[in-house]
Amino acid sequence: MSFIKKFIEQETVSRRNFLLASAYGVAATAAMRMFGPSPAMAATYSDPTVAWSYRNRTNPYWNEIVSGGEAFIESLGKDKSALTHLINEGSSEKSLADVKALLAKTNGELALAIDTNDAPNARPVVESCVEAGAYVSTLWNKTDDLHPWDFGDNYVSHMSWSDEGPAEQTARILLEAIGGKGGVVHLGGIASNNPAIERLNGLKNALKDYPDVELLDAQPADWDTQKANEVMSGFITRYGDEISGVHCANDTIAYGVLEALRAEGMDIPIVSYDGNPQAVGLVAEGKILATVFTNPHWGGGITAALAYYAATGHFKPSEEPNEHREFNGPTIFVTPEDAKAFKASYLDDVPSYDWKDFWGPSNGPIVYK
Amino acid sequence: MTATPSVLPDTHNRLNRETLVKWAPLLVLGVLLLLFPFFEWLEDFRAAKDHTYLVDSRFLSIRNFARIAISASPALMVAIGVTFIILMGSIDLSMEGTVSVCAVLFAFLFLGMGGTMGSWAILAIPGALIVGAAMGFINGLVHVKLKIPSFMASLAMGFVGTGLALLLTGGDRIRVEDEAFRSLLTVRWFNFPIMCYVALFGLLVAWFIQSRTTLGRNFYAVGGGEELAKASGLNVNRVRIMGFTLAGVFFAMGALLAVGRIGIAETATGNGFMFVSITAVVVGGTALWGGIGGVWNTLIGVLIVNVINNGMVVIGLPGWVQDGTLGLLVIAAVVLSTDRRAVSFVK
Repeated sequence: MSFIKKFIEQETVSRRNFLLASAYGVAATAAMRMFGPSPAMAATYSDPTVAWSYRNRTNPYWNEIVSGGEAFIESLGKDKSALTHLINEGSSEKSLADVKALLAKTNGELALAIDTNDAPNARPVVESCVEAGAYVSTLWNKTDDLHPWDFGDNYVSHMSWSDEGPAEQTARILLEAIGGKGGVVHLGGIASNNPAIERLNGLKNALKDYPDVELLDAQPADWDTQKANEVMSGFITRYGDEISGVHCANDTIAYGVLEALRAEGMDIPIVSYDGNPQAVGLVAEGKILATVFTNPHWGGGITAALAYYAATGHFKPSEEPNEHREFNGPTIFVTPEDAKAFKASYLDDVPSYDWKDFWGPSNGPIVYK
Repeated sequence: MTATPSVLPDTHNRLNRETLVKWAPLLVLGVLLLLFPFFEWLEDFRAAKDHTYLVDSRFLSIRNFARIAISASPALMVAIGVTFIILMGSIDLSMEGTVSVCAVLFAFLFLGMGGTMGSWAILAIPGALIVGAAMGFINGLVHVKLKIPSFMASLAMGFVGTGLALLLTGGDRIRVEDEAFRSLLTVRWFNFPIMCYVALFGLLVAWFIQSRTTLGRNFYAVGGGEELAKASGLNVNRVRIMGFTLAGVFFAMGALLAVGRIGIAETATGNGFMFVSITAVVVGGTALWGGIGGVWNTLIGVLIVNVINNGMVVIGLPGWVQDGTLGLLVIAAVVLSTDRRAVSFVK
């Protein structure tokens, strides 16, 4: 329970700070207006089109992202159908083409929230938006040399998640549960995906402190339940009882692993990632030891909100510090002790967020290695 | 020259080659079953551990065969469905969409009508089969009546199916938790879960249709020479539509077993079945140009693909090598198991 209390406190404090900050901001803008408009000031729009560009809807994660975007739209007093959906189906080319088409259609009066599907695609997307005078906020994918502050106001923000730390912590929970000795296996995401790499690194970091635990094997399961099921069956054949714990890169993988163990009548601890509602349910039942909630609902809403409020001139991105333009999303641990409380306060009854509190729940600036 | 008819040695030769090609898929499977234990032995030999070849193999154990059978069961049903279509010389690529729709509708019906096998919810099983048949029927109609090539018509129907499943679920996953239904996976007879016997039963039904019914013989007639079949008065269009409908029923059976295996129905349930089933049919020795092969070939093909998949993990092949290896092994298996000398051109 304590984490929720802490979280709410943190939010209240940061909201107060934000109100103060925005009051200063308003005063500063008013002062500037007296001396005439700044020449570098980007055009703002009274009612820009709001769009979310993402991979697909077959994945619960993206569904949560979109639900946040829709909740934000509703907070503007509009119907949720006012949100424009650009679905790239895993193609960067389609992602860019859709954005360009929408820029042409809206004449640049656009607030765009986007995951550009892969990192290199972020630059052409951002440049197209900046050129058209639209406002864009990115999520997850961008190259390390691309920064919002290099584009004035139009590249509003970038949010990502650093998964290495949280994955390390779930790994520690797992390694403690198996008594600090034995063998563990890891089932990962698509091998080239950043979160897949970070989550495996997290496990490896934790293993350094547990010399008696051997990482028997790590194989990609492509974020897919059925593939995970088959890979886990192979692991059971190869290692049998040597496996004393399983580290899964996300919840969809964990479902497949659980069923493979069930088919064998095995019951060993597993940890997971993402905090999907069903996984949280399984944590509450004690079938999964821990998962990490990244609050995609808030992430989806706030990314759209940042682009929208920058586009309407509610705040001026270039006046914000760098840590407000590139920041990490929240991570909350879910363990059997607090799963029920967590479910009640986050999933069964999705909290209504203040979509003008841009940085309250965020988790510090992005650090490059 | 003796009086022996000169055709005899020829016939004899051809028979030999035919026999070889006929049994090649089984041979490939046999080689694989010896190959993976060899790698296991090699690994233990290098580590200087005691390991008697084959006897100490973890791969060659009943428990592992059960695991292979579990992963093969849903794929076998889907592959049998597409076997009938390929026998006709057509192709059906709608399996991913059809499996997803059947899985999702089954889950909705099952949970909506009580959620236990002891209630009316059991009707969800024939319900899913009917949905599969309907999808296949529409698929066949689109192909035959609108005269769209089967691969395009079915691919499009597959997308329609995936979209429909997404619309129904809104991207959520539906859990089917009923113990009696999940006994497909959890209850074992003679070391193998019930779902393997269900798949075996499906295979026998398919074999009966293929060899003992007019429809089955008509599939071969259409695939062997459509013009000839038409000239003999066969209603080819009707056979095609029935073929696609039948395939739909088997896709639905695949969907039921897939849900039985992981207890989840979702839009992604159908993912991956296209590759596995088409590969399995071809590797099993059923010719893509129609008329040759059958459901037993498909069984061997499905087993080959699943043995390769399982074996690669068991021998500890790194993930990034697995996809490439699977591709190479599939090419090797096709080379060995189809008589390509009989075809003048490949398109």
